[in-house]
Amino acid sequence: MTPLPPLPPTPIPPPVPVETHPNRAGGLKPPLQPRVPFDPTRLTPEHAYYAHSPPRFRPQLENHAVHLRPLDSVVATPAAVAALRPPPAVPGTEPKKHDPRKVRGSARRKARKGAWKKLLWVKQSYPDNYTDTETFLDHLQRNPRLRPYDFWPLVADLTVIVQHVCSVTIFVCCFVAIEKGASPVSVVSWGSIGTVLGWILWDFWVWKEQEEAIKALQATKGGGEVDDGSSASSTTSGSNLVATGPQNSNQAENNVHGLGLNLANPGSLRRCSTGLSSPSFTSLLSINAPSGPHAYQLFRERRRSSLSSRSRQRLNTIKSALLIYCALLGLSPILKSLTKSTAEDSIWAMSCWLMVINIFSFEYGSGEGADATKFPASLSTNAALMASTVLASQLRSTTHVFSLTLFSIEVFGLFPVFRRHLRQVSWTGHLLLTFALVIGAGGGVGITLRGGWAAGIVGAFLGSLLTAFAMGGCSWWLISLQKYKNVVTGPWDPARPIVRTHWD
Amino acid sequence: MPYNIAMISDFFYPQPGGVESHIYQLSSKLVDRGHKVVIVTHAYKGRKGVRYLTNGLKVYHIPFFIIYREATMPTVFSFFPIFRNIIIREQIEIVHGHGSLSSFCHEAILHARTMGIRTVFTDHSLFGFADAGSILTNKLLKFTLSDVDHVICVSHTCKENTVLRASLDPLMVSVIPNALVAENFRPLSYRPQMGERGLGVPPRIGPNDTITIVVISRLFYNKGTDLLIAAIPRILATHPNVRFIIGGSGPQAIDLEQMLERNVLQDKVEMLGPVRHEDVRDVMVRGHIYLHPSLTEAFGTVLVEAASCGLYVVCTRVGGIPEVLPQHMTTFAKPEEDDLVLATGKAIAALRSNRVRTDRFHDQVKMMYSWTDVARRTERVYNGIKGAISEQEFYGHYPGASWDAARGRTRSFALIDRLKRYYGCGIWAGKLFCLCVLIDYLLYVFLELWWPRANIDIARSWPKKPVPHPDAAAAKASRNTRERIRASS
Repeated sequence: MTPLPPLPPTPIPPPVPVETHPNRAGGLKPPLQPRVPFDPTRLTPEHAYYAHSPPRFRPQLENHAVHLRPLDSVVATPAAVAALRPPPAVPGTEPKKHDPRKVRGSARRKARKGAWKKLLWVKQSYPDNYTDTETFLDHLQRNPRLRPYDFWPLVADLTVIVQHVCSVTIFVCCFVAIEKGASPVSVVSWGSIGTVLGWILWDFWVWKEQEEAIKALQATKGGGEVDDGSSASSTTSGSNLVATGPQNSNQAENNVHGLGLNLANPGSLRRCSTGLSSPSFTSLLSINAPSGPHAYQLFRERRRSSLSSRSRQRLNTIKSALLIYCALLGLSPILKSLTKSTAEDSIWAMSCWLMVINIFSFEYGSGEGADATKFPASLSTNAALMASTVLASQLRSTTHVFSLTLFSIEVFGLFPVFRRHLRQVSWTGHLLLTFALVIGAGGGVGITLRGGWAAGIVGAFLGSLLTAFAMGGCSWWLISLQKYKNVVTGPWDPARPIVRTHWD
Repeated sequence: MPYNIAMISDFFYPQPGGVESHIYQLSSKLVDRGHKVVIVTHAYKGRKGVRYLTNGLKVYHIPFFIIYREATMPTVFSFFPIFRNIIIREQIEIVHGHGSLSSFCHEAILHARTMGIRTVFTDHSLFGFADAGSILTNKLLKFTLSDVDHVICVSHTCKENTVLRASLDPLMVSVIPNALVAENFRPLSYRPQMGERGLGVPPRIGPNDTITIVVISRLFYNKGTDLLIAAIPRILATHPNVRFIIGGSGPQAIDLEQMLERNVLQDKVEMLGPVRHEDVRDVMVRGHIYLHPSLTEAFGTVLVEAASCGLYVVCTRVGGIPEVLPQHMTTFAKPEEDDLVLATGKAIAALRSNRVRTDRFHDQVKMMYSWTDVARRTERVYNGIKGAISEQEFYGHYPGASWDAARGRTRSFALIDRLKRYYGCGIWAGKLFCLCVLIDYLLYVFLELWWPRANIDIARSWPKKPVPHPDAAAAKASRNTRERIRASS
């Protein structure tokens, strides 16, 4: 719409051409000062195409009309529009007399007489292709749920990915080293020592959390009866549910599932109790109201025999670790001859792909909400273990195979759990671990490529530099890509039903 | 001025459905207005070749390969030879395509423009912008609608959607709603009221009478079956004297049945299974309230049908539904379980207090929607694109000259102009579309040489008695009204 001097009002209200797609004419002729004098209060379809248009709000018509009139010959004030709209003499749209009953009793009667309405059942004195500039695309929303990213939080979140990629790199370096003649036993011993240390730390954290949870439970219960507690919590659960809807109920399902495990097998308590970060724990108690007293009793019982249960847990863990150890020992000779008939090239290709699958399907969860400490998705773990098995079968002796497989279980099975937990417990620890992993991976690559400690140091230096640049660059890139985000929603989108009752 | 019109769509009888009946009703009303209409669709099982329907409506069933839900395989060019033959044989002047999922219709619009024929497209559905399927459909739609002469949408929401999807000039899009054959949707005890209105005693509903709620829809996710499943037990729990009748089938029917079994509601909810369109009225008149929990809807003809049968309508406020019926016939709900239960409760209370005059709905709906009206408004579109009414009158007068207005809104058939329009469709798509148009043009030239026009027979029209134009009386009345208004203003 080019700025023109205001014309005298025409007898027919001007249906205003709205520029739909300014780009379309772009290849043909230079756009005539595209969208310079556009009215910020109205939505033209170009809002769907230009990212820098201001957000929609309902027009303060009187204010804007004053200074817009010289630019835009469409008069914007409702009263003026109404005044300008006698029934046009368009054949084929004869103004029909309204059935008085249709309008009676409805709020529409109060609407300006003769103004266009966005209704189909009213016979209107406007042509069918009339486009009302006030209401056209009124409900269109652009990027309604856009959450702009900040640079540093993004970089901080990237550390999770960096950690995983680094640990995969370290594993690959170890494999190459073992194949080149490094002692597999020393590798797996260092790995195992790290694992045991990590397990001790983790056990400590879990125990602390459990204590806190029991304390919180006691606080909830107060001095009253068990039933009181459960009923009170059930009311809070109601309000909780209403407030957050399906997300919360989803969470509730998760937690209930965790509790079910808990009841069924006290020995596996440490598994599910990792899911009980303190806020979700209270919600668990409140949501699972019917079994609340039972759960409470169980906890009380646990507290009484706390010492014994703790040591029993540890004993269980050690038992299962020994079991895995022995099973691996027994399986190693079979694993060694697993891929004898397969060409080496296919092994490299396959393990490469499996590692890629592992990196891409790994669950880098946000660390918040319901899936805070869920265990890694099985696909990525399985892919990694398969890759390591296939790689291990290329090695020389049974000891080599055994060591590499055990090491892969430690790196891909247990280490992610520890990293997850560490990130929740201590941010500093998380950062330190990231640095250590980056340096380790860089050094490992350096040593693998060139050999010698000097190469390792150079590699570590280059690796950390490269990682820092990659992290910064990716974050910046993602942020700069945000301006291309253009989600258009409107009344035509299928509504999302909100259903409370679940029948399962 | 009578035109020769070809309606083209993948969807036509014997398959039942909304688009199908729209095409049939519109065509037969256009025939009544003196036009000649042929319908071109693909061959259905046991139906191939040329058929005549009532009123001399001719249907071409062309054998084509079907891929999904009665939509033909999109093969851009293979339809052209037979299409050209039909167009020449029937001396078609306007090609009118229906349904954005019909590749037949898109191809026909492309070929018709190549042959220098005016085209109209009617959109019957809403699409989002997010998922992959919609993106593909939208690109295809943009392709054909880059060069269409006019578009018709069934509701204002649908118009907004189509304008955004195909980047159209909004003035090129008309809104003409669907309609219904009111005689087929009469309430049970209907007497045509003569003279004094409202004298008939309305049927009263006592506080303990049973109120029946009818639901007729395909049981798909986007029809809101989840909401229905969640709401039924709660409605029945709070209102003891309420019964449900549910018609329709679909993948979620099993969920519905499970819910009934779990809550032991079989004696209060009657499941009918699929209901044929001609039986819909007989089911509807058994109830008092029509419940429509759909999640998206371009128009919602079934709501109009229900209101015409004298049912009070409870529906979700989505898509084009709020435009369809006046407020005193409906209770709107948000697409949420709680709100739906609440709205239904309100509707039941309103009926029990006998505040709603459902006995008058039929006459009111009859005045709002009719196919004659639809045909009249569609004819105006035809007049506009054929130049029978002036461009300024058709598109309106606008002082701020815009991109398209500078060259006029009538779309020229010159190949270079068409290529310009297609080229703007996208960086890659634009070039691809241009290529398609060029090939189409070459194909046309080849066909003209290989299969000259002179060798194609002209079909004889269906013999017809000259009937008085249905507009003659209405035009006279309207002229009087207009003069009166002019005098008063």
